[in-house]
Amino acid sequence: MSTRRPAITLYRNLMRESEKLPAYNFRMYAVRKIRDTFRANKAIRDFAEIDRKMEAGKQNLELIRRQVIIGHLYTADKLVIENKKTLGPLDD
Amino acid sequence: MSFTQIARNCGRLAAALGTKRMASSAVVQSQAARMMHRIAVPAVANQVSQKFALRSYSAKRTIEDIKFRVLKVVSAYDKVTADKEMVSSRCRWQTQSVRRYSAKPPLSLKLIDERVLLVLSLYDKIDSSQLKVDSHFINDLGLDSLDHVEVIMAMEDEFGFEIPDSDAEKLLKPADIIQYVADKEDVYE
Repeated sequence: MSTRRPAITLYRNLMRESEKLPAYNFRMYAVRKIRDTFRANKAIRDFAEIDRKMEAGKQNLELIRRQVIIGHLYTADKLVIENKKTLGPLDD
Repeated sequence: MSFTQIARNCGRLAAALGTKRMASSAVVQSQAARMMHRIAVPAVANQVSQKFALRSYSAKRTIEDIKFRVLKVVSAYDKVTADKEMVSSRCRWQTQSVRRYSAKPPLSLKLIDERVLLVLSLYDKIDSSQLKVDSHFINDLGLDSLDHVEVIMAMEDEFGFEIPDSDAEKLLKPADIIQYVADKEDVYE
């Protein structure tokens, strides 16, 4: 199928871009949502439907790109569950 | 020892003294604990002035005194080793911002092999008991093409370079990935 390669590329770009989201909740949601949506739609055979989904995916990719930039403008502290290394003199 | 550390130590000392002095009731004690940061500041001033007082300008300084003080100062510098790492654990966090501009450790085929298999066995959809160097991702390990993309992305993260899509779709076995990484990093043995 000729739609396979662009779909894989889109999946990869979406995953790469959503990993850059600074907010933990947004990032995890994006990764989960991308995975689930691609799995749910992988059996679609209708080309018009595929085109529509691909177009939606591209729009979402743009949205994630914008959101990464906005997220870096307004960063918050990391959550406790993001196991960052403890700095500081707490070990003495 | 930085100034903040001195301040903190003095704070602890002051708290210890303070609680001992005001041990009459529990309420006072808890209050003392709460006010610790306020106690700390005058305590620092006190401590410092005491220190300077001890180091006063007495004319009766013997050779031993001077020797002792010089050796004390010098021994503080002895703790800095050649690789600029503080020996004392108390000082370690201060040097954590040091950057080391060294090359990455040299790879060997065996090392690449181990790292590839480790990354794969950590991927939750791969059964690590079935994982072999020659097992096919899609036919043997039951991954689909989207999982395969994620495997390749994990490899990119592990080895720190990007694998283009045209190459990625040819890497269908761990052996292929090992060979590809070895070619990319110029490892031949």
